[in-house]
Amino acid sequence: MEAIRKITVALAGNPNSGKTTIFNNLTGSRQHVGNYAGVTIEKKEGECSHRGVDIRIVDLPGSYSLTAYSPEEVVARRFILEDRPDVVVCVIDASNLERNLYLAVQFMELEVPLVLNFNMMDISEARGDRLDVARLSETLGVPIVPTVGHRRQGMSALLDCVVEAGRKKKAGIVPTYSPDLEQALRLIQSRVNGNLKGQSLPSRWLAIKLLEKDPEFARQWNGSAVMEEAKLQSARLEDKLEESAETLLAQERYDFISRTCEAAVHRESPKETLSDKADALLTHRVYGIPIFLAAMFTVFWATFNLSSLPCEWIESGIGRLAATVSSFWPAGADSPLRSLLVDGIIGGVGSVIVFLPNVIVLFLAIGLLEDSGYMPRAAFIMDRLMHRIGLHGKSSIPLLLGFGCSVPAIMATRTLENRRDRLTTMLIAPLMSCGARLPIYALIIPAFFAVQWQAPLLWSIYLIGIVLAILSAKLLKSTLFKGAAAPFVMELPPYRIPRLRDTILHVWERCAMYLRKAGTVILTISILLWALTTFPQQESRALAQAELTEAAGLVEEPADSLSNSYAGRIGRFLEPVLRPMGFDWKIGTALLGAVAAKEVFVAQMGIVYAAGEDEAPLRQRLQQNYSPLVGFCIMLFCLISAPCMATVAVTWRESGSFYWALLQFAGLTVLAYILTTAVYQVGVRAGIGI
Amino acid sequence: MSESLALSASLEDYLEAIFHIAADKKVARSKDISNRLGVNNSSVTGALRALAERGLVNYAPYDLITLTDEGKAVAEDVIRRHEALRDFFVRVLSIDAQTAEEGACKMEHVIPQSILERFIEFVDFVELCPRAGTDWIQKFESFCKGVPDRQLCSECITLVEGKPESKPDEGRERQAGTITLGDLKIGQRARLVKVRGQGEVHKRLIDMGMVPGVVIAVERIAPLGDPIDFKLRGYHLSLRKEEAKLVTVAVLEEGRV
Repeated sequence: MEAIRKITVALAGNPNSGKTTIFNNLTGSRQHVGNYAGVTIEKKEGECSHRGVDIRIVDLPGSYSLTAYSPEEVVARRFILEDRPDVVVCVIDASNLERNLYLAVQFMELEVPLVLNFNMMDISEARGDRLDVARLSETLGVPIVPTVGHRRQGMSALLDCVVEAGRKKKAGIVPTYSPDLEQALRLIQSRVNGNLKGQSLPSRWLAIKLLEKDPEFARQWNGSAVMEEAKLQSARLEDKLEESAETLLAQERYDFISRTCEAAVHRESPKETLSDKADALLTHRVYGIPIFLAAMFTVFWATFNLSSLPCEWIESGIGRLAATVSSFWPAGADSPLRSLLVDGIIGGVGSVIVFLPNVIVLFLAIGLLEDSGYMPRAAFIMDRLMHRIGLHGKSSIPLLLGFGCSVPAIMATRTLENRRDRLTTMLIAPLMSCGARLPIYALIIPAFFAVQWQAPLLWSIYLIGIVLAILSAKLLKSTLFKGAAAPFVMELPPYRIPRLRDTILHVWERCAMYLRKAGTVILTISILLWALTTFPQQESRALAQAELTEAAGLVEEPADSLSNSYAGRIGRFLEPVLRPMGFDWKIGTALLGAVAAKEVFVAQMGIVYAAGEDEAPLRQRLQQNYSPLVGFCIMLFCLISAPCMATVAVTWRESGSFYWALLQFAGLTVLAYILTTAVYQVGVRAGIGI
Repeated sequence: MSESLALSASLEDYLEAIFHIAADKKVARSKDISNRLGVNNSSVTGALRALAERGLVNYAPYDLITLTDEGKAVAEDVIRRHEALRDFFVRVLSIDAQTAEEGACKMEHVIPQSILERFIEFVDFVELCPRAGTDWIQKFESFCKGVPDRQLCSECITLVEGKPESKPDEGRERQAGTITLGDLKIGQRARLVKVRGQGEVHKRLIDMGMVPGVVIAVERIAPLGDPIDFKLRGYHLSLRKEEAKLVTVAVLEEGRV
């Protein structure tokens, strides 16, 4: 027996067939999974070892077909064709067998060593379907491994099969089609055989692709005798059977699948499932939209209310920590190190960590929506509206994710096939108020507004973001991205009860990311900003005193050390620009920090107002210094203005152009400036909230 | 239709060409149009101006050309007439595809709606009527080739008099061309006849299993009236009305399944 050491395995399959769950099980990694098509948008790699063989596993984005229609499908197809993995594992949702086998049949046409993985066997069994796996495997000439991904059932059998397939390198049977089609394929194939151009692809498969007029291969073979033959055959078929060659091929593949399944699959007559019942309510003509809005409101309500108590605990914990650290130094003594630790690090990072509970609740809610399968319903319900503003129903998935974080939201725009839709969605995604902006609202709202106004106010901030996003989308669609609308063709997967483990994993990852950010980016910036606010130092005696007087009111004279610091100088330099919005130079320095990451705004306010000995919470200080109107303006400006660096970077990468990222950054900042100024000026004149 | 509003035959050809190009490549350029129709660039420009004046296309020099909603409706109407005529020529009159295509191209502009409807009904009738049927058309084909065999007539007479056999199953399906997925009500089921159009949408729809013969049920319609959720091959697929209109079907039965 030939010994092999290392094989490469591609995990391919329809969207939402559970490839990533299998991938996570096999490699022990923790890639994000969810219940809608297109969670995985880039190929991901992992490794494992089984019976002495090192297996490199590549998780490909979901594809319905090898015809490559959306950007993710292009990624998947390119990998299979160009990297030629040793084994292709086609993951199949066993509860949706026919449609899923369509891709498998195309792999059989391609004659690659193939293993079929019938995943989600539990759902199929629960529905009363009986699959004769042995018989199917025999008919197709391909090993089939049944698994239940989320219960990790069948993983070892799958690996056994993969190793075996890697050793044998044997493809399944090649499906044969109707005599008309076979004749056409034979004729094209005979021409292909004559001039393969060094391609290692099977000639029959090439013949099929050429007959289908696959754009990539048609371009490659353009003008050749082979292409002429393909055109001729395709015209002949069309004439005879009155259908285009690609339709005929698709039809024959589905017929092949039906024939295969007929003997081996016994299906209970479909009854109304729980999922159907849920849909009857959740996408109901009358209740559908109110339920959607109520769900969104509940998310924000919960984010704010469920987490208020733990937030207070953390806040007092940080206060105590600051006091303890302070007490290492004799009272009244002034030490730069103490100031760095207490004001810079604990003040800065601490004020961000305080909001961890809010972040947990928000991501828990988004995670539940994702895992249950509600996201595609949101797209379904919202499509008409989205269509009217020039977007696509599928845009609502990235936009909803945007409430969590703009970065995954912008990455999720890849599920949009149309480039204009994709860019528009990408550019407006930061207007969906992200989780990092939440600390700002969570700081400001209770500082200035009574309890009964807090939830509606938060809701209204989010709503303002949504309205602005709609208007911007309309503007972009009628100027830069004019053109015909993209079609809406979307699968609605059955609802699933979110599994605790996945949801907790999901939340944990987000929190870990938040904490990591607090420990790295925000820590660095906090120290930097602290340095900018502390140096150059004046006589140390005057410092604490001066700061207290400064904090008591909007003192203009720059006598104290804070306003004389580098940050103060920058802030004061910017102040004339910020004045029309009602902001002073302190807010200005915090806004600068917010460009790096939105939470830094809170951190910097913490540093600016850290009085050291005085333990009055930041909110009280804000209340003393600013009017509710200014508070509202801060939230408005932070909502709209300059997306954080990570967002700019991911927009740059995903759009493929620096200019789109620049447009997003500049456009949003200008919009924020104009709107905030307008609100403040009107507010001051009308005497609202001052 | 008043004279001033009526489109000339050639303008209708332009609309049709733009529609096909747009279906193929998403957007049309005047070069594509001139290539497709075999005319020179200046005539294209003139025609586009005329169409833009009537509000049928969005056009500015050197820009991409798209159809307005109204233009799309007109183009679809022309294409429907074209397809109906071509089908009639090929399937009933047994004329070869090339000649049928050319003939349809000329006639589509002038044929009145009511006559066209009759053509379509006649195609359906010929195919469904047990006295006619496809073999009847085949006999017509051989008749045209100049082999009128009187002997066969008596055969037919006995056949018709002998057994009034009907085809109950097919008779209940309303045939070809007129009904699309977009016209169905919730709970209705239909058998797919053809996915019209070309390009990416077409490709995606057939990849998703929308091939001739598959049975599709309308499950629900989104709260705002669009899109529509269909069930086929045991899974749910939703389409906008716009895409659903590309899929012609034959209704199977009324009522909830």
